Amino acid sequence: MADNIISAKNINKVYGAGNIKAQVLFDINLEIERNSFTALIGPSGSGKSTLLNCLALLDPPTSGSIVIDGKEQAGKDVNSLSKFRNDRIGFVFQFHYLLPEFTALENILIPYNIRHGKAPVNIVKEAERLMERIGILGEKNKYQGEMSGGQQQRVSIARALINKPALIFADEPTGNLDTETGGAVLSLMKEINAENNTTLVMVTHDRDIALQSDRVVELVNGRICRSINLKAAGVEGAEKQLENRSCYP
Amino acid sequence: MFRSYEWMIALRFLKKGKGQTVLIVLGVAMGVAVQFFLSSLMSGLQTSLVDRTVGAAPHITVLPADSLPGYVSGAQKASSDNRKPIYSEKTEILSWQQYPEDLKKDGAIKSISPAVNGSGFIERGGVTVPVILKGVTDEGLKLYKIPGNIVSGKAELSGDSALFGKKIADRLSLSAGDKLNLKNDRGEQIFVQVNGVFDIGSEAGNGLVFLSLDRARSFLRVGGVSSIEVQVVDVFAADKLAKYYAKGNTRVKFESWQSKNRELLQALSAQSSSTNTILFFVIISISLGIASVLGIAAVQKQRQLGILKAMGTSNVSAAKIFIYQGFALGLLGSFLGVLAGLALGYMFVTFAGVNFGFDFSAGMIITPVILACLASTLASLIPARKAAGLSPIEVIRNG
Repeated sequence: MADNIISAKNINKVYGAGNIKAQVLFDINLEIERNSFTALIGPSGSGKSTLLNCLALLDPPTSGSIVIDGKEQAGKDVNSLSKFRNDRIGFVFQFHYLLPEFTALENILIPYNIRHGKAPVNIVKEAERLMERIGILGEKNKYQGEMSGGQQQRVSIARALINKPALIFADEPTGNLDTETGGAVLSLMKEINAENNTTLVMVTHDRDIALQSDRVVELVNGRICRSINLKAAGVEGAEKQLENRSCYP
Repeated sequence: MFRSYEWMIALRFLKKGKGQTVLIVLGVAMGVAVQFFLSSLMSGLQTSLVDRTVGAAPHITVLPADSLPGYVSGAQKASSDNRKPIYSEKTEILSWQQYPEDLKKDGAIKSISPAVNGSGFIERGGVTVPVILKGVTDEGLKLYKIPGNIVSGKAELSGDSALFGKKIADRLSLSAGDKLNLKNDRGEQIFVQVNGVFDIGSEAGNGLVFLSLDRARSFLRVGGVSSIEVQVVDVFAADKLAKYYAKGNTRVKFESWQSKNRELLQALSAQSSSTNTILFFVIISISLGIASVLGIAAVQKQRQLGILKAMGTSNVSAAKIFIYQGFALGLLGSFLGVLAGLALGYMFVTFAGVNFGFDFSAGMIITPVILACLASTLASLIPARKAAGLSPIEVIRNG
């Protein structure tokens, strides 16, 4: 039996209240295998980012169950979820979201600071090692405005890794980068994922990027249209399946 | 607290938002400076007023009880005992020596001096001028601060010497060494020599003529003393002390300077209230300023707060970031404010040509500092609440 780190059942997400309601996710059932790389794809408005935010415990689902590491997370209070995110989850966003008041190195240390306060020397060394691995050690004392988009995204990857999380959620991490830089960032994320035994869940609208994952999950209109195991189907097989537009209205 | 990441983020937000930080710190500093300056100035003014009123005068005067106790009326209760008048001193204190002995033991009392009061006349150049006479010991001279305020001659009372207040000396064109005759209301005359002329600043004080206690007693025919004049360590405790001693001594009465200066005290109290009202509104305006600027900062930092919350910052920690900012602004602002207040006070006293000092105590520094820190921390609760309530998803979804 597969070792699933996430098991989501009957996830529904409705925005708004009263007469103005919009349902974004419909009865989503999804399991994510530990140490895998899953790509969530779909057209704009398909609900892929909403699903990612639900799975990452940033946005509670309206109904349904999310089990992470064998423990039910749906319905937990805000502070328990905050602590859980800090302990177990790393985030990489399209807009990087670095704190402009802090240097690259300080930004990387913030998840550690939230958990333990001031970082001791060995943790600062670990952050520098991560920066070296990612190729941005030279930027460690630079502020957000002094770095390129690619460099900023690398900083946010290092920041996602500092607390050694089991899960990394990435929402369009290459969306704001040029093709070359985006490609480099993606390779880096894949390598890091393999090195650190983390589970990577990534939202992308770029089919080529999705095809580099272990599994592609396609969402259309808030429902899972198909899930393709890349190892079984192969890239060409997957591409063929993705050509099939039967889920689209 | 100071090692926490909330503190680190709070300080960095302040450091990077220099414009806003400088504005708030200046606002707090000005408020504290005004507070510190006003209260020090008012305290200086009050101290100076009180000092001028009672600095060279008795704080408590022990006087003879000037009425005899009445008989208890009513036939039922009348008895032979009730008809016996209780002994009381009427116009002078006869057995006065016991009072200085008793009062000396109290640490709250600074000096005690028996005095004989009366009036006399001086004839000079064909004019008869009435004068107020006061017979005192050396201790009494010190109470009226005569030794330090001698304009000419020396502050000594012995034999036939007398000390004249500047007002009366000027009127009679007297100077040290002059000799003259002093008459009492019975027409008796004694010879006195002007040993010194003093100026103790007050109108009433400079109208006095001091004689030695024994000479005044014989000249004014006083067997005991007219009063016992007392100075206390804490001027404002005089009334309480007078009431305390009055309870144990029914044969004499104790009058405090406060009971004779109600108007001055009312004026001082009115001044204190108006100062406190001003200070209250200064604090309110500082708090409103901080609340509004930090409120704007909370909106501006929404993105940062959102990402911090996504990474695991709790609601309480998000609130703390703003509360610490408020506290830090209050602390820094009030520190600068005290410095500015000191400078303002120094300039005021040096350049405005006022004739009173700038009086401040540790309390006058600590109170505005504590108030400013408290007000700015409280003001930060509004943005802190906003920060606590912010959902990370709002920021992430809206970019």
